[in-house]
Amino acid sequence: MTLLAGLQTRILRYRISWAQLAWAGHRLSGIGVLAFLFAHIVETSTVALGPGAYNFTQGFYRNLPARLGEILLMAAVVYHSLNGLRVIVMDFWPRTTVHYRSLTYGVVAATIICMVPIGLIMITPYAPWGGR
Amino acid sequence: MSTGRTIYFNPSRAARPQPENAGFERFMWYFMRISGLLLVLLALGHVLIMHVLVQLAGKQIDFAFVSSRWGTPFWRIYDLLLLLLALVHGVNGARIVIGDYVRRGGLRAVLIGLLVVISVLWVLLGMIVIIFFNPATAPRVGPFS
Repeated sequence: MTLLAGLQTRILRYRISWAQLAWAGHRLSGIGVLAFLFAHIVETSTVALGPGAYNFTQGFYRNLPARLGEILLMAAVVYHSLNGLRVIVMDFWPRTTVHYRSLTYGVVAATIICMVPIGLIMITPYAPWGGR
Repeated sequence: MSTGRTIYFNPSRAARPQPENAGFERFMWYFMRISGLLLVLLALGHVLIMHVLVQLAGKQIDFAFVSSRWGTPFWRIYDLLLLLLALVHGVNGARIVIGDYVRRGGLRAVLIGLLVVISVLWVLLGMIVIIFFNPATAPRVGPFS
């Protein structure tokens, strides 16, 4: 931690707080999910062109890099949801802002805890124990 | 008091404080929170069903899967609501991010205008497909068949 703090002060001239990371993470995950949504609308629309076209576009997802991307997308949605709930709680019950630090730790911890079983389920077809 | 750019302390650090004056910006402030609450259920439900439950059930998402899913009005309404809320929520967020980083008025207007035009086209495409999709009349032949 001291090495990380030293690098932060040397490069950025200040230390990044968890609150700033939470804010940057909320924007980054939001923009990422929106970018995927635009692609997802086009890809899903090929269903109107029949089974040939739709099953072809779905084939884009059936490989390891795409599955890793889907896990990242899932993490972005989970984080954005939980952090968004924190923002709503703090906006409508201002007294909870006193605990913003522990609430932020809670959001990060909950995201990681949720993503462990979800990530394991999603990676299973490509994992040694999944057998494909 | 005001020196061009407002500096405020917002302990949530993940959004902006409620705009003081009634109008579009304050409406969108409330919209982001209310749609966000609904999207926690709709979007999280969508990804958990499509990526976790489908995986656990050993199924695959293909033409037959979508045809049977959109065979019930419930999932068409669910997907339509998700499409509209997610796109407006996301595009408004992107508009705010553009406004924060692009300070030049002209360039900012062009970028936001482009974003809005593209989003309208995309939302129309999505709505037309969800409402009018009919597996019986979908072409069986085509460049990919």
